[in-house]
Amino acid sequence: MTEQKTEKRSIYRMLVEYDRRIIYLFIFVLIIAPLMQPFSLPIQVSPGTMTYYNVINGLKKDDVVLVVFDTEFSGYMEIQSGILASIKMMFEHEVKVAIAVSHPEATGIPQLVFDQLKGVMDQHHYIYGQNYINLGYIFPNEASVASTAQDFHSIVRQDAYGKSIQGTFLDNVNTWKDWTLISDYTTGIQSGSLINHYGLRGTPMIVNCIGVMISTQMPYVSSGIYKALLESMRGGAELEYLTSSPGPGLTAMNSFTLGHYLLMIAIILGNIGYFGYRSEMSRKAKEER
Amino acid sequence: MVNPLFQVPGIVSGRALGLILVIVLAILVYYYMSSGKKIYIRRVPGLDAIEEAVGRSAEMGKPVVCSFGIGGFTYWTMAGLAILSHVATLSARTGTRLIVPTGGSNDSLIVRPVAEEIVRNAYLLEGKVEAFDSNDMPFMSGQQYAYTGGYIGILQRTRPGSVIMTGYHASEAMNIAETSNAIGAITISVGAYISNTACLACASDYILIGEEAPAAGAYLSKEPPLRASIRAQDIYKAVSLILIIGGLILMTAGSDIVIRLLVS
Amino acid sequence: MSSFFKSKTAQLTIMILSFLAIFVPYFIDVPVMTTFSTKLITITAIVSAFTLLLALYSQFRRGYTFIQKKKRGWIFKAYMMISIVLMLVFALFGQETGPYNWVMYAIITPLSSVNYSILVFYMASTGARAFRARNTRALLLLITGFIVLFYQAPLTGAFFPQLTPVALYFTNTFVAAVAKMFLISVTVGAIVFGMRVLMGKETTILGFTKEEAS
Repeated sequence: MTEQKTEKRSIYRMLVEYDRRIIYLFIFVLIIAPLMQPFSLPIQVSPGTMTYYNVINGLKKDDVVLVVFDTEFSGYMEIQSGILASIKMMFEHEVKVAIAVSHPEATGIPQLVFDQLKGVMDQHHYIYGQNYINLGYIFPNEASVASTAQDFHSIVRQDAYGKSIQGTFLDNVNTWKDWTLISDYTTGIQSGSLINHYGLRGTPMIVNCIGVMISTQMPYVSSGIYKALLESMRGGAELEYLTSSPGPGLTAMNSFTLGHYLLMIAIILGNIGYFGYRSEMSRKAKEER
Repeated sequence: MVNPLFQVPGIVSGRALGLILVIVLAILVYYYMSSGKKIYIRRVPGLDAIEEAVGRSAEMGKPVVCSFGIGGFTYWTMAGLAILSHVATLSARTGTRLIVPTGGSNDSLIVRPVAEEIVRNAYLLEGKVEAFDSNDMPFMSGQQYAYTGGYIGILQRTRPGSVIMTGYHASEAMNIAETSNAIGAITISVGAYISNTACLACASDYILIGEEAPAAGAYLSKEPPLRASIRAQDIYKAVSLILIIGGLILMTAGSDIVIRLLVS
Repeated sequence: MSSFFKSKTAQLTIMILSFLAIFVPYFIDVPVMTTFSTKLITITAIVSAFTLLLALYSQFRRGYTFIQKKKRGWIFKAYMMISIVLMLVFALFGQETGPYNWVMYAIITPLSSVNYSILVFYMASTGARAFRARNTRALLLLITGFIVLFYQAPLTGAFFPQLTPVALYFTNTFVAAVAKMFLISVTVGAIVFGMRVLMGKETTILGFTKEEAS
């Protein structure tokens, strides 16, 4: 037992058996440091983001877009950059925007977006009710999504502030056919329902989803149900770069990059430790024989 | 725009094939359910892992933590409940404490009483109903991350020998799997959410990927309707495979007949 | 009257009629049925919102028994019930301003965001711990993973643009193929599950135990 206590752990064993909190510490430092001391790193725009940008760029004045905040607040923090950059583009194109929400935590997000884009809205003379409207929490479940797709005004009679939507630009919206585009910012809550009742019927859809959902959304992109997919915070940062509107996405990209590189280094070191420790053990076994 | 291969008068354009497929599927399911044949389903390897995990916990005198997911009455939850029933039976038989954290969504409130009944029945059938404690099935919260916090708290305090996550788990599965690994428990999970599967495969000791969970549920329950469903699903998967391969070959040869069939 | 609605036959009949009311108009364009299905869906949306009230009642009933018997952890149950009542009062009387807003944005959303953010630590430690090239297949997986991870870092695209088509190839073929496979399996499974329910073989959904159902 004394022998085991005094036996020094080899470097290989340390690389395999280190306390996971060391990784936590490094991740913490590498994420926080670039935010406290920003520096700029170059960024390349991916083809998916370019497609997303082109779809929004193709919108014309007075097109009617349904923006769905299909996310909890935690998801909003990840896709915030894409939300702000894309809605800013929509305001610049002077499209009519109706905002709906599918989670109680997201009811405050529309006001946050309006506050941050106030300058652009004022510049393009956005008037509530005529050019934009906040419908609030109207998509709690699939039945409500289905209902709005078939007869919008049967289920949506007032906006998030309790005012009637009669007399707004939504008077001309009755079914899924009347929307020019649906822009879904999603963590997966009602994205399936929107596909079932809007996308599959032919309403053009674009989506900005969180990182873990990208693989599940790919089939819809390749089948044409989604016109474009903006991939998580990175896609949002690329869109900010394309639209020359730096925001939370570009700010976070340094941390994003460093975090990825740290993970790769940790994997490489882990494998070095694994193979080194394995050959050490087999060498010791041979010596003992 | 591709022209459909055929159109059925009266049926909305582009939906005829879908209707035919649904009707044929219903006929297949009904046929297998009522045929009385014993449908073979192979034993899923993950089931051995579950039995090993419960046995290990029994030897170490530690509890087993098993959850059935955060969804409502969905396909995955039903599979999760079937596996929960099996785990409850094994726990009752070996005298191991079983903890079932519930919650994670508003829909899970509806499933909770059913899960409680399933676990109680399992203990009853093993003749150990007095060992069943409904306080070992706490409802954490209808909020996903509050549920996660509660679940992790249970793991940290009770230090189980094994953690079995069946049913539908979203992002909280990573938190739970990693915490479970940190406390030295065997982790068995179900990859019901494709986005999670890769991460869970790394974080868990065993994983039942996708359809393996409902198949395991059907294998364990031995109920003809469940087995009939699995058989019908397998037939349709074979049909999908034939369509994909056939379509690929025909498209390469310059024919769009499969695409035209699919948009009919 | 209540025994009629509790019977399995009545429940299944209502379920099948509701299913047909929504299923048929999807395939056969009958305007009257389409209008009826829209109304039915609207009613469903409203009724399902009321299940929250049932959930609330259930929680209070359990909580009250828990507190009365002073079981272990009863103080947390009391705290939970007080929080529910407070938030109800804030929401009903303050609506989306004032204390409700404060609790949501000062307590709930930061806690939710933090819990979600913690995932990064778990992902990193899992990746560092689990990615080992134990055999040829694991090595291939590791190399593929490295390429995709490298591509995901935005800086890489700027300095190694040659990696982009390789990483995109992996994502658009293998990953998309697996996702499509999963989607097909899950969709077929969900349809078959629905059929089992409609055929009366899945009685747990109706609230019957196996003994009651048989």
